[in-house]
Amino acid sequence: MSPVARSIVRKLAALAVLAALWEATARLFPAWPGPFVVGRVLMENLGDAAFRQALGGSLRRMIIGYLFVVAIGVSAGMLLGRFRLLDELMGSVAVAIHAIPGAAWVPLSVLWFGLTEQAVVFTILLGATGVVMVSTDSGIKDVPPQIVRAARTLGASGTAFFWHVVIPAATPKILDGLRLAWAFGWRALMAGELIISVSGLGELLNVAARGQQVDQLLAIMLLIAGIGMAVDGFVFKRLDRLVRVRWGLAS
Amino acid sequence: MQVEVRNVFKSFAGNGRRVDVLQDVSLTVGQGEFVCLLGPSGCGKSTIVHLIAGLDRPDAGQVLIGGRPIAGPNPDRTVVFQDAALFPWLTVLGNVEFGLRMSKEDPERRRSRAMEYIRLVHLSKFVHAYPHELSGGMRQRVALARALVLQPSVLLLDEPFAALDAQTRAVLQNELLEIWELARPTILFVTHNVREATGLADRVYVFSARPGRVRDVQSIAAPRPRHAEDPALMACQRKILDILGEEVEQVFREELGETVHFPEARHPASPDETRGMHI
Repeated sequence: MSPVARSIVRKLAALAVLAALWEATARLFPAWPGPFVVGRVLMENLGDAAFRQALGGSLRRMIIGYLFVVAIGVSAGMLLGRFRLLDELMGSVAVAIHAIPGAAWVPLSVLWFGLTEQAVVFTILLGATGVVMVSTDSGIKDVPPQIVRAARTLGASGTAFFWHVVIPAATPKILDGLRLAWAFGWRALMAGELIISVSGLGELLNVAARGQQVDQLLAIMLLIAGIGMAVDGFVFKRLDRLVRVRWGLAS
Repeated sequence: MQVEVRNVFKSFAGNGRRVDVLQDVSLTVGQGEFVCLLGPSGCGKSTIVHLIAGLDRPDAGQVLIGGRPIAGPNPDRTVVFQDAALFPWLTVLGNVEFGLRMSKEDPERRRSRAMEYIRLVHLSKFVHAYPHELSGGMRQRVALARALVLQPSVLLLDEPFAALDAQTRAVLQNELLEIWELARPTILFVTHNVREATGLADRVYVFSARPGRVRDVQSIAAPRPRHAEDPALMACQRKILDILGEEVEQVFREELGETVHFPEARHPASPDETRGMHI
């Protein structure tokens, strides 16, 4: 068996064990739904047009929010990394924003934007931009000195030096930041949707909780976990591996 | 282009104290000459390379290229670093093209010139490979092509082959000599290997350990290709090893404390004992 196939088999086996344990606990406590029940509810949900619309709304907000995060986070991080004065003045602001959890931005977002879609997007933006700014900034500052020397002796300077040397050299760190930002943004989205009533997964969670539908609650949470993991696994892990190998950071 | 280092002093601040790296160093590399800087580790050889490359400035003294003081880095003086320092995100072609891209060479000419130099270092089969896919020797070939493609009048090499195995090193030394004889750039080659220095250079500057000072200059007239068994070369190597023997002892004394006692005679008696001749 190839190493890839073996790894997949192992992961599936681990999932099967987890599902079995879950099913066992469900048999012991009848009020607690097992994986088959939750799976069926999830399938029913996905067949329901209203549910799909809510899911689509959540994904739309996440994608819009994340695009803002990438654009603002990377460019602000570049400015901080490029201009020392700016970094001295604003660097700690970036770290402070990074230190505030996404959920803590919800009240301010509501105050400014009301109970709207924009408020959710704003929550994602503030919950995830800090980490991109900080990692871009530090990636730019940590360009290996030998790379800098080589580039300088080959005639690189000014803007060309920044775009052709500093930014590619900082790419692995920037990517680390983008990966974390996806996870932070996804959390901020849920926090936002739980409080701000717009049609989305967060609101569906609220509805399920009010109706004490544990199976529905678990089905939605399973979906949230699944989407988060799928994006990380299929997009970021692959990108990360490619970059690490090429940049010589992994063997 | 002639390189002149005149009465240069350089020190660095580290761990709260000043470390003198170069003390009153003067040396000259004539137009088209091949000169080696030989000395124990920590004698400031790399610092001299950085000063001539324009990556650093002397505390006192002058560094002149063709009689003019250096203003900063210039693609007319390129460097091959010990660890190759290739750009890992670029292919072999991308790395070799880099300098031409910086000088805004037109893409077609850029590519054809890069390919020419990649051929020169025998890497035509690896044009689209990334540095992580190459062996240490191949990376140094790329570094050499990347430095040569700009047709510099001064080529600086900072222990370029130190991390390579003996066979690869010998092959690359010969190729470097062939390339030098073709284009005749002025070469300053830093090494801590006595055999390498005497095998390559027209002249060898022997450096003392911290702070770096010129202890001796040896001219080597032996024709190339040179053979290690050439008696004139061996006499020269022995002379250098005598000087360096004292230097290396001094380094150990400083690092280990004054109480360490060294035996008196440290003269290499036969070529066998000087095998490798690393300091």
